[in-house]
Amino acid sequence: MSNTHTTAIGTEPFDKTYGIGYQVHHTDWSPFSRVNKLRQDFLDRSYDIDVERLRLVTESYQAHQTESKKMQCAYAFENVLLNTKLYIYDQDLIVGEIAAPAKAAPIYPEFSVNWIIDEILNSPFEEREHDKFFIRNDEERQEILDLCKWWQGKTVDDRLQASLDEDQLKGSEVGEKIFQTNLYHYAGVGHLAIDYKNLMKVGYVGLIKEAKKHLAALSKRDPEWAAKRDFYQAMIIMHEAARTYIKRYAKLAMATAKETTNQQRQTELEEMAANCYQIADGTPKTFWQALQLFNIATALIQVESNGHSISYGRMDQWLYPYYEADMKKATLTKDFALELLEVEYVKMNNPTKLKDQGSMAVRNGRGFGGESLTIGGVDRDGNDATNDLTMLMLEGSAHTRMMNPWVCVRMHENTPYELKMKVVECIRAGYGHPKLYNDAPAIKAMMRKGMTLAEARDYCVVGCVELSLPGKEYGWHDAAYVNTPKMMEMVLNGGRSFNTGKQLGPDTGSLDTYTSFDEVLASVDQQFEYWTDQMCSSLNIIDALHRELKPLPYVSAFFGDCMDSGKDLTEGGAKYNGIGPQASGTATCADSLATIKQLVFEDKYCSGSELLQAIKDNWEGHDVLYAMVNSSKVHHYGNDDDYADELFKYMFECYCRHITGRKNLRGGDFRPGVYSVNANVAMGMNTHASADGRKKGEAISDNMGPVHTDAGSHDICGPTALVNSLAKVDHSLATNGTLMNLRFPQDAVAGIQGRNNLLSFIDAYIAKGPMHVQFNIMSSETMRAAQKKPEDYKDMLVRVAGYSAYFVELGKPLQKDLIQRTELSF
Amino acid sequence: MADKGIVFDVQRYTIHDGPGLRTELFLKGCPLRCQWCSNPESWAPAIEWGAYQSKCISLSKCGLCTPACPVKGILNFKRDKLTAIDNSKQVDYTDCEKACPADAIKQWGKTMSVSECMTIICKDKSYYEQSGGGVTVSGGEALLQSEFVLSLFKACQKEGIQTCCETTFYADWKKVEALIPYTDIWISDIKHMDPMIHRQYTSGDNKIILENLKRLTDLKQELILRIPVIPNVNDDRTNIEATADFILNELHGRVRTLQLLSFMRLGVEKYQSLNIPYGMEGIELDREAFQEHVAEIAAYFNRRGIHCLVGTKEQEDTKE
Ligand code: SF4
Repeated sequence: MSNTHTTAIGTEPFDKTYGIGYQVHHTDWSPFSRVNKLRQDFLDRSYDIDVERLRLVTESYQAHQTESKKMQCAYAFENVLLNTKLYIYDQDLIVGEIAAPAKAAPIYPEFSVNWIIDEILNSPFEEREHDKFFIRNDEERQEILDLCKWWQGKTVDDRLQASLDEDQLKGSEVGEKIFQTNLYHYAGVGHLAIDYKNLMKVGYVGLIKEAKKHLAALSKRDPEWAAKRDFYQAMIIMHEAARTYIKRYAKLAMATAKETTNQQRQTELEEMAANCYQIADGTPKTFWQALQLFNIATALIQVESNGHSISYGRMDQWLYPYYEADMKKATLTKDFALELLEVEYVKMNNPTKLKDQGSMAVRNGRGFGGESLTIGGVDRDGNDATNDLTMLMLEGSAHTRMMNPWVCVRMHENTPYELKMKVVECIRAGYGHPKLYNDAPAIKAMMRKGMTLAEARDYCVVGCVELSLPGKEYGWHDAAYVNTPKMMEMVLNGGRSFNTGKQLGPDTGSLDTYTSFDEVLASVDQQFEYWTDQMCSSLNIIDALHRELKPLPYVSAFFGDCMDSGKDLTEGGAKYNGIGPQASGTATCADSLATIKQLVFEDKYCSGSELLQAIKDNWEGHDVLYAMVNSSKVHHYGNDDDYADELFKYMFECYCRHITGRKNLRGGDFRPGVYSVNANVAMGMNTHASADGRKKGEAISDNMGPVHTDAGSHDICGPTALVNSLAKVDHSLATNGTLMNLRFPQDAVAGIQGRNNLLSFIDAYIAKGPMHVQFNIMSSETMRAAQKKPEDYKDMLVRVAGYSAYFVELGKPLQKDLIQRTELSF
Repeated sequence: MADKGIVFDVQRYTIHDGPGLRTELFLKGCPLRCQWCSNPESWAPAIEWGAYQSKCISLSKCGLCTPACPVKGILNFKRDKLTAIDNSKQVDYTDCEKACPADAIKQWGKTMSVSECMTIICKDKSYYEQSGGGVTVSGGEALLQSEFVLSLFKACQKEGIQTCCETTFYADWKKVEALIPYTDIWISDIKHMDPMIHRQYTSGDNKIILENLKRLTDLKQELILRIPVIPNVNDDRTNIEATADFILNELHGRVRTLQLLSFMRLGVEKYQSLNIPYGMEGIELDREAFQEHVAEIAAYFNRRGIHCLVGTKEQEDTKE
């Protein structure tokens, strides 16, 4: 890969070092004291549950019981925006929240209420082990209970429970959790990026005008006339409400300005009010106004629904014209542009979501989650798209170091050296951002979804790793998590569950009966077919219920094809429609197959029945076999060993094959993803032992990563071997994304040499073709934590002296020595 | 030319012995016996076996190694676990290693051909190209198998892969000379300037080493030089000054980087597995004070005009 260069430049040298690894007790990363204060204020706030949205929505639904669903949604949204309390935070420069104070979680009863009632009564949010939430007082607790009770029987959840048949239920989250469709069972869908470019161009007024034009043009001969009429009318009500909401903020800003004695703050507040008036009645004229409109439009998507991963699209691209124009006019400095970005970054953390316990287990964290901000990459003609904002957005990320936004840098063969260097410096700082996406396989995956090359090149990332086309795609990206090792359990055990012994799936043979490895593979295929049938049909039911019960006219307006066709997003109004369920534990299955193939059918080291018994016994009393399965004598994925890597490829392709091409109700199809985020841990907890040497309850393998069991890590050949293994699959088959985490010790990336090595590693990684990668740079803090809980840190490489070793496998004194040494290095 | 060598480890993605991302081959056999050595498995030139007690299942529950062993009763078990393997009697434990299901017996050293090595090396070619890395041959003492190294480096040169040889230089100059045309970078170390003390701690003569270093720098070869800084052995003022004088006067300062490697208590488990007593057992160290001391030594070299860093870097991060 030859290095190309860019003239794009932020406020700092492109190769400025931001430190190496996580550093504790640091509160002044940003050069702007305002940003540091806002950040600290955010961190100091508690996670509350806010009753206001629930109250206002319920009030409106009760008043409009006979209206169509779209109109009910519109009136409820309007009632919220006209009456919700407004908040302007000290020193903030941008206004607008999700109808709740910063960091407080609203309630969305349209989707589900049973778990809220249940958790309040039986396992209070305040007493959770993690992801705690606080209800402010007993009156509010009672109010939440009363309001939620009104919703019982009317929600997506209630209707779903009644619609699933027994085969679907037994596999789902309410049964054996072979697949978990929790996320959209209990909450909204989200997972989209709107067409910000068009929004900035036409503003709310423009969208309303367009809706009115379409409404006027509707023909009564159209059999869908009423549905479309309601759609446009709802949209108009909602977008007018948005304008009113913005003007309410303008008034509040003016009132606050009058009360302040601080001259500078007064000016700021007046300008904020002016910004609001401008975007309420027209289009943004400045960089600041563009950010203000962005913030409100995005927040309101999260007032309409609590679907997560509302992503920001290619923000360095759609925002650039405003930056460029202000800079040309000299009405904006680079420093102030960065300060505004950082203020907005902190603000992106405010939306908070209350999740049910089941969803919490597959998706930890109290933020909405998945707010990806995509930068870099190629433009629609294939040229590098880097600009000043690309650099500034990375600087802002290093200066704020918060959960949000999830900055994602698109990499390609001509990514300029300066941008790569900035990326590497951010990664070295060890705060977990940015993640990297590889344009070549990603663009290929977009085209597999039927997009043109120019469209494909315009992809952005939504959520963790999913690919989406802003303003054109409703991908239902995070639709379900599939526990593939559970399916493998059916393969080993004649379709029966190890946990209960019950017959769950079809009997396609067992380790007692197979006479060849080909029979095993055939059985895998049949089980996958059966269970993906159950899952995908369940997802179609959920999709239909969202369409029926929770149309989304507000956000639909930001999708040109919805606007033109009069069809809501939930009705398939977007140009591209998908449903993306993800496979977890692919390597667990691959190593299981390797064990069976090698030990049972090739070496005849043990019989299938012996292996089955050992697994049934959770390996207890089978020490020799247990050690063998976990030893380097058995082929394992992740070591650049074709034997095992072929089986990983088989599992990867098997899953993709069974998902790809199934039709969904919105005129699109299903798209496979191969990643687990952190769901592999919770899934492992209710999964019996597996043939790869995993014991009951241990995590299944994560994302595209290799197997780590209590007995040891199965990848033992270092990162280049792992990447070579990873690169043997065609990542573009997983049109809903793949995910790879890599961890490096600080030592490996320290010094100019370390920095260059990381840069080279990334270059080589991108050239080899995997779709995604993110890095962890370990600190001594982490190593101390690793000493306390070694089982969670099995694969942490430390450079010792002449060799690298796994930290937890070293003696205690050496561990201590290493910790001390590392601390001394900064 | 030797086509086969005895290699005790191949590590991919090493980043410390030479520039960029590298594949490193550790060759077996070393004429020196440095007391601080962290690779005692590299000493003997022949293949050896080590026992990893913590991985052993137990004699009573497993015991598969004993029937496989060619000499009865030679395996040592303590509290039901394999504790040590006696490598002194020329016993071939290959079958024990094969029989062990738990990776508790490790074979140190494997005969590998140049082409076998090249297959592994070439897998990471794209990483070398991106990073300016390549292959490093280390040890043990690489030059004990210099014919093998020569064949290997020739093969690397054919593939356009950069080569680096890490050696003690405790070897005949002829061996070095033969390798020069095929070696891009040399890494070596000065353990002590005083011949007596050198002999005491390494059991070897430093004259040959210093002489070879001189000849190499006379030929202006790329050299990264190291000092393993061992408390109370070579970290005193006299020795440090003598080392600096030697580098400036005899080597004409022709050292890319002088790297100070702080003493670490490493490889103790490996000593145990091979049943070799560990020579540095007695050292108690205040790590913080020691690192400061090492930093002072580095500062001294830099003051003398020698580019010197702590650790295996060649260039420090720019400070914020
Ligand atoms: S074969 Fe291995 S695990 Fe079994 S007793 Fe011998 S050393 Fe221990």
